[in-house]
Amino acid sequence: MHSPRPAFLWLLDKEWRELVVSKAWWVLLLAIGPLVGVSFISAVHTYAEVSGLNGTAAGVGEALSPLIGVWAPTFSALELAAVFLLPFVAIRLVSGDRQSGALKLELQQGMGSFVRIAAKAIVALAGWLLAMLPALSAILLWKSYGGSVYGPELVTLIGGHVLNAGLTIALGVATASLTEHPSTAAILTLSFTVGTWVINFFGAVQGGWWERVSGYTPAAMVAEFQHGLVRLSTVLIAAILIVTGLGLAAIWLRLGVAVSSRVCESAAVGLLAAVAIFASTFATASWDTSESRSNSFSEADERALRTIQAPLRIEVHLAVEDPRRLDLEHRALSKLRRLMPKLQVDYVSATSIGLFEQTKAGYGEIWYFLGGHSAMSRVTTSEGVLETIYSLAGITPPKEEETFRGHPLAVPPKGAGAIFYVLWPVLISVSGIIIRKRLK
Amino acid sequence: MNENDADNQIPSYSISTAWGRANLVGNMLFEVDGLSKRFGGIAALSDVSFHVRAGEVLGLIGPNGAGKSTLFECLAGILHSDNGTVRAEGLPVGAQQRSSLLFYVPDGIAPWSAQSVRWILDFTIGFFGGCAALRDEVIEQLDLGSLLRQPIGTLSKGQRKRALLGIGLLTPQPALLIDEPFDGLDLRQSRDIAAGLRAHAAGGRTLFLSIHQIGDAARICDRFVLLSNGRVCGEGTVEELAVLAAARDMSTPHQNFEEVFLALT
Repeated sequence: MHSPRPAFLWLLDKEWRELVVSKAWWVLLLAIGPLVGVSFISAVHTYAEVSGLNGTAAGVGEALSPLIGVWAPTFSALELAAVFLLPFVAIRLVSGDRQSGALKLELQQGMGSFVRIAAKAIVALAGWLLAMLPALSAILLWKSYGGSVYGPELVTLIGGHVLNAGLTIALGVATASLTEHPSTAAILTLSFTVGTWVINFFGAVQGGWWERVSGYTPAAMVAEFQHGLVRLSTVLIAAILIVTGLGLAAIWLRLGVAVSSRVCESAAVGLLAAVAIFASTFATASWDTSESRSNSFSEADERALRTIQAPLRIEVHLAVEDPRRLDLEHRALSKLRRLMPKLQVDYVSATSIGLFEQTKAGYGEIWYFLGGHSAMSRVTTSEGVLETIYSLAGITPPKEEETFRGHPLAVPPKGAGAIFYVLWPVLISVSGIIIRKRLK
Repeated sequence: MNENDADNQIPSYSISTAWGRANLVGNMLFEVDGLSKRFGGIAALSDVSFHVRAGEVLGLIGPNGAGKSTLFECLAGILHSDNGTVRAEGLPVGAQQRSSLLFYVPDGIAPWSAQSVRWILDFTIGFFGGCAALRDEVIEQLDLGSLLRQPIGTLSKGQRKRALLGIGLLTPQPALLIDEPFDGLDLRQSRDIAAGLRAHAAGGRTLFLSIHQIGDAARICDRFVLLSNGRVCGEGTVEELAVLAAARDMSTPHQNFEEVFLALT
C-alpha cells in the first residue's frame, strides 16, 4: 500500500518543516516586528506633526497621503529584511539539503528538478508572507487611530514587496545551488545586491543605458510600487528574473549531470531571459493605483493630452545630476510617458553634474517639437510643461480640477510600541519553542 | 557510450517496482559496462564492469579509497560518470531513469536532521513511493521502535545508520545499494542487521552492499565485486574468487576469504 498523498505534497510538507526548524527564519520573524515598529511609529509621529502644523492645505496634500507618509516608510522595513535576512532563509532551504546529504536521497526520487526548487520557493514565500504580518497589523492599527486606508494603493505596495521577496528567494536558491557552501552563497547574494546598488549609482550619475537599466533593479522596482505605480514591464521583468533564478537553481541541483552540460544549459537560460527581458521593456501599460494620483496628471489634463496624435519630442539640456532634471522627470516626464507612448525624450549634456555647463548658452533649455512646431521653456513643473505642450498643440488648457488634499491625522501611535517591541517578539519566541518541539 | 546518450535513447524505460517477482530471482537485474570517473587528474573509477543478479546480496569489497562510494554515486545517477553504461534487460538505463531501478543509501549522512525518525520513515513511504505495509516490519527488524520520536540529528552514529537502513529498506526500487551498512554498529547489531538484510533479500530484493570489513562481507553476501584503485579485480562467489586468485598466483586456492582478497587486490 502506497501513501495516498502525492509526492509533491510530501515535498512541500518536508520543505515547510525544514523552514520551521531553521533558525534563519525565526530570526527573520523576530527582527521584523521591531523593524516595522520603528518605521511605523516614526512615520505616524511625522504624519501627526505635519497634520497638526499645516492642516489640510493643498500644498502639502501629497505629504499627507498615507501611502507616502505612512505605508512607504513602514513597509520599507520589509525591503531591509528582504535584502539582509530573507536570502539566508532561502539559502538554508537549499544548502541544508546539500550539507546534510538529504539532497543525495531526494535526487533519487525522479521528480523534476524545477518542481523540486519550486516547492522550496513556495515555502520560502509562504514564510515571507508570515513575516509580513507585523506590517499588515500596522494597517489595522492605523485604522484603529481613525486613519484612512485606500485599498488599491496598499495592495500595490504589498504586491511590490511580495515580488521583491520573490526576486530575493530566486537569487538565494540560485546561488545556493551553484555553490557548495552556504557562506559562499550568502556572499554571492549580497554581492549581487550591492551590484544592483552600483547600477543605481551609475544610473544616477551617468544617465543613458545605465539609467534605463537601473529602473529595473529591485530597489527601483519597490520605489515604483511605493508610489502606487504598477508598470507591466516591471512586473514582467521581475517575473522573468524569478523564473530565471529558479531555473538556474534547478539546473545546478542536478548533481548527476556533467558540469559542462549545466554550464551550457545555464547560458541558454540566461540568453532566453535576456531576450524576454528586452521584449518586456516594450510593454508600456501601467496603472496608477495611488489615491493622490501621484503618477498621473489630472483626469482633465489626461483627456486633453490624449487628443494629441502627433509624436512629441522633448530635448532637455540638463545634466544627469542637475536637480532640475530630476524634478522634470518626476513631476512631468514620467507622467507623460505613461500617457503618450510615442513620446521621445532626448537628454543633452556634456557632463554628469552640469556645474561647468551652467554658463554655456542653451544649458537648462527644454525644447518641445510637435507637429512641425517647436517651443522652448525652462520650466520643470508639470504645469509649465503642460502649458508649453498645449500651446504647441493649439489646445485650450482644461479647467483645473480639485486636487487631492490628503488625509491629515494628528494622533500619536498609541499601543504600537507594545505590539511591535514586546508582544510580537514574545509571540514569536513562544511560538518558535512550541512549534519546533511539536514538529519533532 | 556515455550514459547521457542513454538518457536520450531510452526515455521510456521503467522497471517494475515489484522487486519480489520470483521469476526474476537469479536472472541478471542489471550490468555495468566500462564505467569510468575522473576527478581532475585522478582516476577514481577505470573501466568498471560487472553484473548484478536479481535477488542476490552482492558485496562491493575494497580498501578505503578504492572508489566504492564513487561507484555507487555514479550508479545512482547523483554523480556524473565520464563513460560507461548501465543496462537492464538488454537496454541502457540513463542516469535519469536509474531511480526506477535502484536506490542508494550513502554513508555518513544525516538527512532532515531536525525531523523525527517516525516522520522520516513516513516521508520515505510518501515521497519515494515506498510500501507502507513494510513499515512496522522494518521498525522491528532494525530495532527503531525506541528511536521513533527522536530527531535523526540527535542519534548516535549506529542509531543513525539503522535509521538510514530503514529508509533504504522502505524504498520501492528492485535494487538497494547501501554504502557501509555495518559502519558504526556493534557486533550484536551487525549480526542482527545482517540477518535483517538477508531476510529482506529473501523477499526477492537485490542488495548491493559496499563493505570494507571482509568478515562482515563474507557473512552476508552471496557474491562479491572486488574493487581496488578504481578497478574491478574480481567478481564472483568466494570459491570462484579463490580459483581466480590461485590462477593468478599459480598456487592452490586459498581457503580464507581475506587471503583471497589480498591476493586479488
